[in-house]
Amino acid sequence: MIDLNRRFAACFFIPLLFVSLTSAVQSSSSWEQENSLVWEYDFESGFISTAPIYHDGKIIVRTSGSDEPSVTALSVEGELIWKYTNSATLSNDMSPLVHAQAGTSSCGTWPELILVGWTDGTIDAIHPDNGTVHWSIQTEVAGWGITSVFSIEDGDVIVPTRTGVGQYCLADGQQQWWVETGLGWRNGVTATPQGYFSGDEKGNLWKITPQGNATVLSSFDGKIRHPPLETNAGLLVHVQHPLNSSIVLVNSNNGDVIQEFISGPSPAMPVLQNEMVITGDSSSLNIFSCQNSCELINTFPHHTNGEIGVSPDGSIVAPTNTPNANWGMISFVESRDGSYSQIDIGIYGYGTSSPLWFFERGANYTVFGNDQSLLRVFQQIEQQPPSFQQEEFDWGRQGLLFVMYMFLSMSAIFFLNGNSEWFLRSTSVLFLLIILLILPELSSQWSKTFDEQFPQESLDEDWNEEWPESWLETQMVTFDIEGQTYTVGGLSGYGDVYSLTEAATGELGFEFTAEKTEIGWYISSINGHGGDGWEYFVDGTKGVVSADKTPVDSPTRVRWVSV
Amino acid sequence: MFQAMGVHGPTLSPLASLFLDTFLLATAFWLLAKPTKRPVLDSLFLASLVLSVSLIRVVMQPLPNIQPVTVAALLVGAQLGARRGAAFAVLVAMISNFFMGHGWWTVFQAAGWASIAVFGSRLPLITVHGLHMRRAILASVLGALWFDLVVSLSILDGTIGFGEFLIYLGHGLPFDLLHMAGNLVFVVWLGSWFAGLLEEKTTLDEVEFAAVNSHVIDG
Repeated sequence: MIDLNRRFAACFFIPLLFVSLTSAVQSSSSWEQENSLVWEYDFESGFISTAPIYHDGKIIVRTSGSDEPSVTALSVEGELIWKYTNSATLSNDMSPLVHAQAGTSSCGTWPELILVGWTDGTIDAIHPDNGTVHWSIQTEVAGWGITSVFSIEDGDVIVPTRTGVGQYCLADGQQQWWVETGLGWRNGVTATPQGYFSGDEKGNLWKITPQGNATVLSSFDGKIRHPPLETNAGLLVHVQHPLNSSIVLVNSNNGDVIQEFISGPSPAMPVLQNEMVITGDSSSLNIFSCQNSCELINTFPHHTNGEIGVSPDGSIVAPTNTPNANWGMISFVESRDGSYSQIDIGIYGYGTSSPLWFFERGANYTVFGNDQSLLRVFQQIEQQPPSFQQEEFDWGRQGLLFVMYMFLSMSAIFFLNGNSEWFLRSTSVLFLLIILLILPELSSQWSKTFDEQFPQESLDEDWNEEWPESWLETQMVTFDIEGQTYTVGGLSGYGDVYSLTEAATGELGFEFTAEKTEIGWYISSINGHGGDGWEYFVDGTKGVVSADKTPVDSPTRVRWVSV
Repeated sequence: MFQAMGVHGPTLSPLASLFLDTFLLATAFWLLAKPTKRPVLDSLFLASLVLSVSLIRVVMQPLPNIQPVTVAALLVGAQLGARRGAAFAVLVAMISNFFMGHGWWTVFQAAGWASIAVFGSRLPLITVHGLHMRRAILASVLGALWFDLVVSLSILDGTIGFGEFLIYLGHGLPFDLLHMAGNLVFVVWLGSWFAGLLEEKTTLDEVEFAAVNSHVIDG
């Protein structure tokens, strides 16, 4: 009887080995095998926060940050063609570049243009061939100016400015109308037969008529930071709340909420692909099918907060907005509900820009960029018979897997032989290795769940009247160092405490050192002060996990206190 | 864990730190002092044990919350008694923290391990056949939880309420799990060997002394 139980247990252990082996073989994404790196361009400073665009043999990229915010045109071979810089802009330009075809309308005639919105409120229309300015206008600034995507309608461009929505002639930039809505950030505008729709930082969903009359269609307790999507089932918005978000379907005629789904914090900008809507946030990528109503088809663990890209073959590619991670891809080749994999493109770090796909001289290209100032261009390899390619062998990971398989097989063998002492030894090591592997993710998820179940009280951070008004509704960081307080504000677009703190120390000219630990980044010194360590508070609540694992909102107040 | 999370409890001034070190050292030597003379080799053995375990703890620092000291203290207490077990625990805490970071939490680490050594001396872990594995496994796993609880008390500085403290404990549960798993591995792989190493062999002098004593009594 005992032998029968052991054999039954062996039948359980042995398939585990083969399942693990199978997944190990498939660990390398097929995308990486089908595409090869052709060149990379290092901008040396600044962030690539929005997808490049392709025009007539040129890859046009915008970079933002404190050094030379620019729009740069590169040839398909990676050579610099032209560069247009706006030194007056505020930081973190993220408004997507928009290409306008040449045309004529009642307000005039215009050539092909690249429209660029800047955080200093400027809208530039530049010639894609040489980067010279065709026309330039100034819109209002309240903390910052334009952060949103434009919409081109007939001969005009609809622009969500900082405090409203305006229509401007493509020929000369002349304002046709402008209407005040709410403060917007990365909100964007969607053009539909019923009019234009746009959200704001107070959760208002605005409906603007073609004549420029604005009314609030619906209101939510949160922020709308993307152009609403017009689906067959209604208008879809992904509303950002302090600790999570909600995906809401709204009747575009009367503003009634039709459906609502709860999702993770810091939502990305959702995209519409035929009847599919893809949303993202700090915890997942979600696929909805929206026909008469929206239905959640699939969800995958992923951390993305910016743009989500759709490739020409229908795959979804999203950057990962964490320090060291690969890009996520959802493919619909093997499954109609999508299958998730990660693609290693060789640049890591925070990213919010979706890729660019284009076809040139018989080849398909994919262009990636992120906050590391690196642009990488991949070319799809022509289909060839399988051959043995020498790939880099990850000794560490493969070695650990081998050790785990070894202990798993030892456990099975000892169990079958009735050697309880050695069975216990091998199983205990296997158990320990598994916990070591999953500990970083486990502790992060556990802490998040714990915080949601047992939210701590938060204290109000007082506003100092000496601070500039432009800091209102922005991300601010305060450092308490030996009785002195240093505060910097006006920051935006940072998704976690670590990156926000790094930016803040850069603004103040503080030295900033951090150490990588198993459970995240530990700040060891700020401005040369290490002491016994640093604690941080987000909006008055003490942080209990590492800084890179704590998401932040906008606006937010982070305070660092030396222990 | 505490360094990564930035939670340290009260900060000690240099004078307070000196007082703390003096107190811990004095406690350790008081525990080691016994009425009967111990052979020099025994003292050297204990000293080498303290240094070895301290070194292992420092080397294993990159693995968060895997604490070989917990199992070592348990078995030292079981084999050598509560006093030497507690002294062992205090000295290991002091010496290893010299390299890893010394502060208010050292007291709690020393107290945690010392209490585990005392528990080890009270539990029937050692039998005539050697280490009782099941009891040792249970004791080491529970010891991990006890130690983590004692050390967590170090963050109480008057500003943290009971509710906050419970939340802090809750956040640390994955690391407690890792501590328990580490202890399980140590006791399963090395427990019997380590307990055998600590077993006190009766010397020839002690055999003769016992024989003479018994004759005297009989006489």
